[in-house]
Amino acid sequence: MRVSFWTLVSIFAWLILIALLVVPLGSVLLSSVQDQAGSFTLENYARFIETPRFRTAFLNTLIIGFGGLAGSLLLGSAMAFCMARIEIRGSRIVSLLAILALVSPPFIGAYSWIVLFGSGGLVRQTLMSWGIFIPPIFGLWGILIVFSFKFYPYVYLLASGALANINRSLEEAAESLGLTPFQRVMKISFPLVLPALSAGGLLALIHSIADFGTPRLIGRGFNVLATEAYTLYSAEVGSNLSMATTISIVLILLSMFFVFAQRYMSRRNVYHGNLINKPVKKKLTGFPNIAAHVVVYGIALIGAMPAFIAAIYSVRRTSGPVFHPGFGLDSYRRILYNLADVVQNSLTFSFATVALIVTIGTLIGCLVARKMSVNNSLLDATLMVPYVMPGIVVGIAFVAAFNSPPLALTGTAAVIILSIFIRRLPYSVRSSASALRQVSPSMEEAAISLGYSPARAFMKVTVPLILPGIIAGGMLSFVTAINELSSSLVLYVGSTATMPVRIYIAINDGDYGTAAALSTVLLVLSSTAIYIAFRLMGRDERALL
Amino acid sequence: MSYLTVKDASKQFGGSVRALDGVSFAVERNEFFTLLGPSGCGKTTLLRSIAGFADLTAGSISLAGAALDAVPSHKRDIGMVFQDYAVFPHLTVAENVAFGLKARKVPATETATRVAEALNTVRLGAMAARLPAALSGGQQQRIGLARAMVIRPKLLLMDEPLSNLDAKLRIDLRDEIRDIQKSIGIAAIYVTHDQEEALAISDRICVMNAGRIEQIGTPQEIYADPRTIFVASFVGTMNILPQEAASHLGLESSRVHQWAIRPEHIQLDQGNVAPDSVRLAGRVEKYTYLGREAHVLAQTPAGKIVVQLADPAPSLRMEPGSAISLAFRRQDILSFDSNGVRLEGRGN
Repeated sequence: MRVSFWTLVSIFAWLILIALLVVPLGSVLLSSVQDQAGSFTLENYARFIETPRFRTAFLNTLIIGFGGLAGSLLLGSAMAFCMARIEIRGSRIVSLLAILALVSPPFIGAYSWIVLFGSGGLVRQTLMSWGIFIPPIFGLWGILIVFSFKFYPYVYLLASGALANINRSLEEAAESLGLTPFQRVMKISFPLVLPALSAGGLLALIHSIADFGTPRLIGRGFNVLATEAYTLYSAEVGSNLSMATTISIVLILLSMFFVFAQRYMSRRNVYHGNLINKPVKKKLTGFPNIAAHVVVYGIALIGAMPAFIAAIYSVRRTSGPVFHPGFGLDSYRRILYNLADVVQNSLTFSFATVALIVTIGTLIGCLVARKMSVNNSLLDATLMVPYVMPGIVVGIAFVAAFNSPPLALTGTAAVIILSIFIRRLPYSVRSSASALRQVSPSMEEAAISLGYSPARAFMKVTVPLILPGIIAGGMLSFVTAINELSSSLVLYVGSTATMPVRIYIAINDGDYGTAAALSTVLLVLSSTAIYIAFRLMGRDERALL
Repeated sequence: MSYLTVKDASKQFGGSVRALDGVSFAVERNEFFTLLGPSGCGKTTLLRSIAGFADLTAGSISLAGAALDAVPSHKRDIGMVFQDYAVFPHLTVAENVAFGLKARKVPATETATRVAEALNTVRLGAMAARLPAALSGGQQQRIGLARAMVIRPKLLLMDEPLSNLDAKLRIDLRDEIRDIQKSIGIAAIYVTHDQEEALAISDRICVMNAGRIEQIGTPQEIYADPRTIFVASFVGTMNILPQEAASHLGLESSRVHQWAIRPEHIQLDQGNVAPDSVRLAGRVEKYTYLGREAHVLAQTPAGKIVVQLADPAPSLRMEPGSAISLAFRRQDILSFDSNGVRLEGRGN
């Protein structure tokens, strides 16, 4: 009975992966190697290589990827070092600000930077009136600034964790062996946090490559693969699905390449230290102290700035898209009267997605954690694929796969829910598997020896123990689901528009008041979900990664 | 027929690894039976097979006259105490103990009395409403013990229950376990790798090695009359001497492969030893003072030999290199053949 149940789960998991991953990816691949008549061709790839526009986009993608990586590494490691090793006043607030930067959708960031530093931006205008000219933020530098301040928390959270876990004795041993402080950092501390730095950097890199909203809003002609794919797909005249799918394949390969490169680089660098001697935070005085605080608060406040800007602009008085002096709730009123369906869509889709993710993710997580077999290891490995798939690619893949019978899902709410579901499933499986690994198998055996059948023992003992972790994971999935833009943008139709899609449209239309109000609603919902998650599982910022 | 019988139990993990290799033994009602052996000897696999958490590749187990092989573990009515306590962290101490009674649909009032009684037995009466996280390791294991006993199981299994506790607590709790087992009169099987613990707690000990039983016997038999060289050296300390030592010991060595003698059976010859003793001259290599006893490591023509001195005088000095003379009785020497099996009788 029990065995057959888990066999069923395993079959079910593979069916899901085949339907939502293998088929869409297969369709993308097929579409990219087919000509109009449907026969095999590498024409699209040849065109990708020959066309200057695509070559530029490819190069640009690499530039923003590594630019975002470099910026995040710089900001994240500076902040991690200060926070882990120096006493910073109000360090709790700093990490809250980092979380705020992490959960606010990137397109809100882009929008807020435009509000301040765009052509008519508040800060830019003020500086100009003082006679200081700065160029508007649009273009490559704008993208890199947004990425750096948006993605630095990945590096910060991982590296500060690693720094706090270096046994102090190691550094003291190095000191007693005669190394100078600088040598000590380079020869001991740096190698020990390198795995965390490269893992955080990889997250920043992959998100930079995959991000669609920022280059679209702030790039102004600086095109990357994600935006090119979307343009090709969405062009009203001459929409070119096969070229869009070709670019999608290139994007997937690029992400996978970086994932494997990072794995290869850090394959030997796994350190297990003991923590008998925890590192202490140093108390600085005078100028160094002020400098450290300026660095930390500067990064944290600029990173969280988009959220504040959105909140402030959401309560400015408006009429239509035009801001007026003073404050008012016009924008919220407009949401309530005109865009209630969008908010409702977002909430319905997100709750549906979370329900799916939690139940199916937990079942597969149990399978992976408890029933070790070749089949399940393969399942675990396959689940890594959605992890490296940019949202825009998932969207295009779903269009390619589900546009025609037997599965004509395009334009339905289901397709949006399923697209977010498959992207978030790996996280959920991992987190429930790790929650389950925390529960000693002897716990369940104890219940069995006391007279409970295996199924009842699982329900009575294991489920209550992993439930907080599962709910917390569900809350974090909710944050991802409700902020998802790129795949929804490809898949939505008028009646299934979500808040992020609506914000994107509003920014494009110059309707900043509505965008700010919707963004604020999103931020409040996300923060609530994170608050619940942290209450349930203890504060662990790294769960957000 | 015995209360618990294990017959020809074998367990083969993938490939050729034999965790259990034809193990048979019987345990009587009220008996405290210990499985003793180094890690990987199959003792835990055996215990888990009795509990029903592992299936035997071959062999059968019966309890109170009924075969267990087809009975699922939750219907075996066997209480189990775990090495990592396995106390449910989301339930209070009392709820933990009541857990098994709930499955048996025991009425609430009876549950309350039995839980209170069990908690008093393990001296946790005052902790009933606490959550286990607030308790020490020793207290958590007491919950585990109360929880397993309160269901009045047919058999109590304990899988290294004391190995995660510190030394002093281990001794206290092991005496408690022994007392409780005797007072409620239950058959218990106890797994440990600690030979001193096994000697202290057991009615009978089953020494296991590499999936096979080396010897079953009372603590006295296991210690004083080991049947194999493995048991002789695993339980207590033992001086093992090669065959060639025979000439120095005044012994014959036709079939003997190894000789063995316990350190406490060797004396220092200070003119007060029995006339028929074997004498052996040697030099002190190391002297270790332990308070209640002292160990002298001596280099002799027969090999290195440890001598245990009871209640050594604090003023006693043994400089490395100084000459000493060892003496022991011939009947205290054990002899083993090339298969490690004891040769007939003592002092042959």
